[in-house]
Amino acid sequence: MSQGIVEIVSGVEHKGAVDRRSVLSWLSGLALFGSGVISLVSDFVFIKPRATYGQPSRFSIGRPDAYPPGTRMAIDGRRVCVVRDGDQVAAISTTCTHLGCIVGVAETGFACPCHGSRFDQDGTVTGGPAPRSLPWFKVNLAPNGDLEVDANAEVSPGTYLTV
Amino acid sequence: MKIALAIASSIVLIIHGIVFYSQSSHGWMQHQEAYIAEAQNKATNDAERNELASRRPRLEQIIATQFGEPRVDRCVSCHVAVDDPRFVGHAQPLRAHPYSKELGDSYENGRWERRHKFTDFGCTVCHDGQGRGLDSFYAHGEDRYWPEPLIGYVAQAEWNEKYRQPLRGKDYMEANCAQCHASGDSVSMPHLERGRRLFFEKNCYGCHRIDDLSEGALGPDLSEVGKKWKLDYLWESLVDPRANTPVSFMPKFNLRDDEVKSLVIFLKSRRGTNPAQTSLQRYRARAGRSAAAGQAPVLQADLPEDPVARGEVLVRDRACAACHKLGNQDGGIAPDLSFEGLMKDTQWISDHFRDPRRLVPDSIMPSFRFSEPEFDAMTLYLTSLRTPPALGDSAEIYRTLCARCHGANGDGTGPVALYLDPAPRDLTKAGFMNSKDPARFVRSILDGVPGTAMPGWKGVLGQEQAQAVLDYVWSSFVREPRRDAKKRSVPETNPVVSTAESIARGKQIFVQRCTGCHGLKADGKGPNSIDILPRPRNLRNGPFINATDDRRLLESILYGVQGTAMPPWIDYGLTANDAGDLLNFIRSFQTRR
Amino acid sequence: MERLIQLPRLVWDSIFRHPLPETDLGRATTSFNNFFLHLHPVKVHRNTLRPAYTLGLGLISLFLFIMLVVSGVLLMFYYVPSTAQAYDRMLDLRGTVAFGTFLRNMHRWAAHGMVALVFFHMCRVFFTGAYKAPREFNWVIGVGLFLLTLLASFTGYLLPWDQLAFWAITVGTSIAGYAPVVGQDVRFLLLGDHAVGQEALLRFYVLHVVVLPVVITLLVTIHFWRIRKDGGLSRPEEPEPTATTLPVGTRYGLMGFVRGPLTKSGNVPDNAVFSWPNLLIAELFVFVLTVAGVLAVSLLFNAPLEEPVNVMHPPNPAKAPWYFLGLQEMVSYSAFWGGVGIPTLEVLLLLLIPYLDRRTEGVGRWFAKERLLANSLFLLFSVINIILIAIGTFFRGPNWTFVTPW
Repeated sequence: MSQGIVEIVSGVEHKGAVDRRSVLSWLSGLALFGSGVISLVSDFVFIKPRATYGQPSRFSIGRPDAYPPGTRMAIDGRRVCVVRDGDQVAAISTTCTHLGCIVGVAETGFACPCHGSRFDQDGTVTGGPAPRSLPWFKVNLAPNGDLEVDANAEVSPGTYLTV
Repeated sequence: MKIALAIASSIVLIIHGIVFYSQSSHGWMQHQEAYIAEAQNKATNDAERNELASRRPRLEQIIATQFGEPRVDRCVSCHVAVDDPRFVGHAQPLRAHPYSKELGDSYENGRWERRHKFTDFGCTVCHDGQGRGLDSFYAHGEDRYWPEPLIGYVAQAEWNEKYRQPLRGKDYMEANCAQCHASGDSVSMPHLERGRRLFFEKNCYGCHRIDDLSEGALGPDLSEVGKKWKLDYLWESLVDPRANTPVSFMPKFNLRDDEVKSLVIFLKSRRGTNPAQTSLQRYRARAGRSAAAGQAPVLQADLPEDPVARGEVLVRDRACAACHKLGNQDGGIAPDLSFEGLMKDTQWISDHFRDPRRLVPDSIMPSFRFSEPEFDAMTLYLTSLRTPPALGDSAEIYRTLCARCHGANGDGTGPVALYLDPAPRDLTKAGFMNSKDPARFVRSILDGVPGTAMPGWKGVLGQEQAQAVLDYVWSSFVREPRRDAKKRSVPETNPVVSTAESIARGKQIFVQRCTGCHGLKADGKGPNSIDILPRPRNLRNGPFINATDDRRLLESILYGVQGTAMPPWIDYGLTANDAGDLLNFIRSFQTRR
Repeated sequence: MERLIQLPRLVWDSIFRHPLPETDLGRATTSFNNFFLHLHPVKVHRNTLRPAYTLGLGLISLFLFIMLVVSGVLLMFYYVPSTAQAYDRMLDLRGTVAFGTFLRNMHRWAAHGMVALVFFHMCRVFFTGAYKAPREFNWVIGVGLFLLTLLASFTGYLLPWDQLAFWAITVGTSIAGYAPVVGQDVRFLLLGDHAVGQEALLRFYVLHVVVLPVVITLLVTIHFWRIRKDGGLSRPEEPEPTATTLPVGTRYGLMGFVRGPLTKSGNVPDNAVFSWPNLLIAELFVFVLTVAGVLAVSLLFNAPLEEPVNVMHPPNPAKAPWYFLGLQEMVSYSAFWGGVGIPTLEVLLLLLIPYLDRRTEGVGRWFAKERLLANSLFLLFSVINIILIAIGTFFRGPNWTFVTPW
């Protein structure tokens, strides 16, 4: 190694060694650059949480029997309103599409207490500043017979699960 | 230089690559993929199949906040089929949790309904293990540092090989059922109940405290013992108390394996507060407890009227025989009570019951907190035990009465000797035996030695029998012709009047000469005492010191005690007056009280 | 349009004002005009580049510190300094967080490495006599940096909130409590309570992630700045150059030295080489080696994580972090002398060394004959400390009795 230093220090470049050296330089440079890129990407992978600490986005809301036909029941902790119509079940988000308040469930639909947005029973905007209708979440029947809502999966309004 | 740089850079790149690649695939992902594939096969309709097809592996977790401290249980990331009835009996990790009426699950309309919903309870509240772990080594608690490995299913690598096998099995889960379910609940926990019973039957409660159950103060508090120790430690501590604590004086109870198991389950269930109780309930339980605090439960509800019979029931229920010998039962720890009425009077038994260490200062017998009538009944019963043992020749007398403490070979290592303090005399030491007058030995046999475990046998043995036993000891153990004790000039009574100055002088001499063995407190626990057998005498043993005359104590000081480490201090310049000062100092402990 | 095409070029040139230097002038200008490079002198003495002289120990320490800052900042994204959560976050780092284990390993091993390397660096400086005038004060700063490194490592030790952490800090701060008069107050100040608990965790966290790194950065900067102001790294004395003295009364700009022929007629003309690329390549090499070393160790060995804290149940034996085990060993003989007296004397002696030992012979050479006594004493001091640490680490078992590790 000390010999290497001396070579560099002396600044004398042996002919023929030039190619090998520039290859080595390129190799080092590339490896370090690659490592840097991987580190940078890894940092973002690291920062992105794999498990969150809140309640999971897919959750059980119990047996279908718990929701008799005609039910419109808000589960505030989960920010979802379970709607049952005959043997059809759906889950409508109760998070206002305007600025994220929790909308109240009324007989005629939903109403947001923050800025007065109003939605009909299917979550379609009927008034106020809300830009979009309330999303519907996917509902499916888990193998153990419980209803399961996936707040990460939106479905088009009017999609019911038949139980 | 450049080559080295290039190599080093490449290494850096390679390690980056390895680390990055290692994050791309996980065990739980593969398990979930396997589950999705199998569930698709088992699916009955297309909608279900499509739903499964759209699922991608992702970290699953249950955040249980209702029972105990909030728990994050990610067990379902691998055990993803745990609530899918189609996977009952499937190979792990994709097995569904079994349904069982014992667990409170109900079967209705062809469908099981769980009593303990996993979304509410999580997994670790019952199973232990590390809910946050995502790789089976850590999740199952195989890491030696994890305090709660999967209960009954995982043995950690450093667990003692001897106890590993009996520590497996789902019976141990009862310890966690008891976290919420009190014993009064309809929940069946046979091992736990048995362990609780054994805790009293084996008199554990006499030494150990457990919140709401017992008030013993000699041993460690076991209220939260299950939180502190793992199964193997509990098992080992029961089977071999000195394995983990070399200075423990907990006796080795002769427990069968199944009894140990029940006790381990019971102890493991002692993990502090019950998460199913509200703080109000806890407060009420504590407030209600103070009235009955310290009362050991009587296992038999209807006691007989007759006091002696009542005493017998109590003595049996309190498992005195867990330590003592009583008829056929022998706990192998404490003296024989079979004919206690012949050896001790009512007063002694009654006093000793209430505070054993007042009469035998170094006794390990706990002060049980029974009620006065209970003490009286038990005293009466013990006093009534007046059937003398069948005795034959001197050898048989020795075997029956003496060998339990002094040992079959007379060397003072009988089966219970370990638990007696002062230790039984080693009768094979010719130096000691020859230095004392035979009449003194006969006296010791007949009258006993106060402040020690040696009882007076005069209710059982006559003068001739005592002499015969002594002769037997001499011929069998000492094996030396008796030499006449040298005449020593020892004053009959203390030559120095006990005054404050004399005591002060005595103290000064004591500090200079005696503390190395007898200790600064004169309790026989000086720094050298651990290397000395027999142990130095506890000079604060009031009953012993008070019952021993001046002459004998002065002789021990001046001429030493042959066969022990006590040297003849007359050879080291101590005069009779110095010994008198020392004696005044030693006796002053008792008068001062 | 043409301007648009030139735009990238313009941006590039505005950032990097010079092309890769081809000439000596270029090399010098590059060093001047680059923020990162201007910390370096334009030229360095050949001796500076001799690996066998410095062993690169100071640089390695610096790079470890930088790695610690980077990995530490990343770990902060997931860490919560609360007794209820800290340990759970450790489990999450090990279980769920991508690269969590690896980053924790890196941080842990780099920290231990830094403690060791800073110490070795100090030994190197002593054995080459590099603390002599005019570098006395830089040695003092270095001793300060060593103590701060210990403190930074010590405060970080508590953060995982496992049994190892809790009891090591309990033992460590108790050692501090033996100091006369102020001992208990210092301990109380450090812990914010009478025992290690939530307050201590928060205080140690603040010290560990803000206060100490900032102070260390500041001192490191001064340390490096002073190297230049003290005339570069120490080196053996050289024969007086037959230098042409500069004309008296003429003022020269900084660049004047570089541009003109005067560069060659300075103090030590023939032994100086340009920093670019000689010094930079050497630094890069040390950097890559350091990174490779830390990465390899982190890949192979996992940072320990013991049981969650159990305040009622100390492990037997309860040991301080390894670098304080020498102290703990001495404390087991005499609480005051081992915990306070001797360490204070040692630190004082270290601080005063350059002012007590003022002879100038033997500077710039390893184990110079002229410094036999000083070197022997320092070697003895180091070896005794290392032996004490080794005894405390490997030869002490339950109840602090002697055990053999094999």
